[in-house]
Amino acid sequence: ITTVPTGFEHTAAEEIKEKIGVDARISKDRGRVFFPITTDKLFQVHLLRSVDNLFVVVEEYHHYQFKESKEETLMELQQLASTLPWTNALEVWKQNGTLKKKKGHRRGGNTAKSKPNCEGVGGSMASTEQQELPQENSAPEGWAGDTQAMETSTQDSDETGHGSKLIKFRVTCNRAGDKHSFSSNEAARDFGGAVQEFFQWKADMTKFDIEVLLNIHNEEVVIGIALTEESLHRRNISHFGPTTLRSTLCYGMLRLCKPQASDIILDPMCGTGAIPLEGAIEFNHSFYVAGDNNDMAVNRTVNNICHIQKRRADKGSMSGLPIDTVQWDLCSLPIRTSSVDIIITDMPFGKRMGSRKKNWDLYPSCLREMARVCRPGSGKAVLLTQDKKCFSKAISRMGGLWRKQHTVWVNVGGLHAGVYLLKRTGAVFGQTPEDVYESRGAVHMQGEEKDDKELS
Amino acid sequence: MKLLTHNMLTSHVKGVTKGYPLLIKATEVKVNEVEFNPQFVSRMIPKLEWSALVQAAEELGHRQDLPGELVADYETNEEFLKKVHRILLEVEVLEGCLQCPESGREFPISRGIPNMLLNEDEA
Repeated sequence: ITTVPTGFEHTAAEEIKEKIGVDARISKDRGRVFFPITTDKLFQVHLLRSVDNLFVVVEEYHHYQFKESKEETLMELQQLASTLPWTNALEVWKQNGTLKKKKGHRRGGNTAKSKPNCEGVGGSMASTEQQELPQENSAPEGWAGDTQAMETSTQDSDETGHGSKLIKFRVTCNRAGDKHSFSSNEAARDFGGAVQEFFQWKADMTKFDIEVLLNIHNEEVVIGIALTEESLHRRNISHFGPTTLRSTLCYGMLRLCKPQASDIILDPMCGTGAIPLEGAIEFNHSFYVAGDNNDMAVNRTVNNICHIQKRRADKGSMSGLPIDTVQWDLCSLPIRTSSVDIIITDMPFGKRMGSRKKNWDLYPSCLREMARVCRPGSGKAVLLTQDKKCFSKAISRMGGLWRKQHTVWVNVGGLHAGVYLLKRTGAVFGQTPEDVYESRGAVHMQGEEKDDKELS
Repeated sequence: MKLLTHNMLTSHVKGVTKGYPLLIKATEVKVNEVEFNPQFVSRMIPKLEWSALVQAAEELGHRQDLPGELVADYETNEEFLKKVHRILLEVEVLEGCLQCPESGREFPISRGIPNMLLNEDEA
């Protein structure tokens, strides 16, 4: 199984079909995609760009009948541990382990940081349980990021070199559903305890060899073993900003707009450059211009680009990437009219950055400017925003320039957002009725301002 | 700043009607290695303002023998495409500035990033 940003399951399935050649089953809106492979394909699976984490399934129950009481349920989970078909999964895990060794050893210390999205383990636990009550769809973003890691308490002691074969493990449990009598903590603890008994492994929360997954979603129970150490969330970004997007989400957005060879792709609010950088690496037959008005943002973007280029140079490949960075004002882009093929960006969220009021003013003017630089007829835009109301309103007033083609709902850092795919109409800028109206409105306002100044 | 980007940039100072192409005054230029993709180059050429590209290459002293006008059948002329590839993607201006041809306003380039922000009175 793999976890992907919720909303982009289809994109992941497409990539899987394309690069691995198998059909994937999608667990809709829960950010999971299941697919069967033979172990010789393991290496390729690690190269997928739309997936966050990979697991091998030990066992899957679609309609698990939980016992009434907590004690009985937990007892059962414990018993389960010894009856599961571990062998195959462990075999895969072993093979995967040799793969990773080839890629270069990662320091044990890193695994502690391997959940960059987890804002304090306790905190995210709470949000998982609350979210379930109202809607089915608001799954936590990528499982690994929001799960409670459990360590069976007592076994701290003896670090003395036992024999190099002592395997260390931990159990991570993610539970969603309102009919369970137990918490994910308890399940992880008891299940983990039984696993330890059964295998005689040692429990260790930070330096583990095996991560066992226990995922419970209503009546569906999946037990798996993790194949990825660090989440592939932010693989390209070494210099973070306050709202850096996951690379997997960037990839999903890029696939949505289907970049063609020689497409000129702009990100006018690039932040740390996550989206264009992912594009320059994965869809490198197009050209990317990343822009922002903020000093720190453009510098971070350049830092990130340099970091990747250095990494490539170190590996001996040609390091140059088809990407450039400019500092500009998005409402007045210093770009020739109709010269851009695709605009792709993460628009400021009212809550995380900027403010709702600012968005009301910002959205229409930036949509207009984006329409100006975008090629009429063939141009496209892929825009991510949490302020769906404001955005929809702004778009509806621009029917002459932009048409909504498709929308993907995603979960970004716990916030519900939309990725809108827009098509640029064939209309020439400055000539549609809305344009004329809008620009007149703007001129009128400027005139008023001038009067005020003169009076004072 | 690569010359492909420069080809798209214009001055948007208020009142300026001929803000393109921006003149380049470079104090530091670097040449990188970027993988050559002939299809990319040949499909990009029609999107460019060719004379602006040649002028820019000239200003940087990297024009070499790039023709002032496009040759016929350039799509299959690999040597030509390689030259264009180099000038579009491999030559980079790291430090210097871009100048608006009409107003003379200068936009600084630092660490390869052109700063095109205008002051309040220019917008």
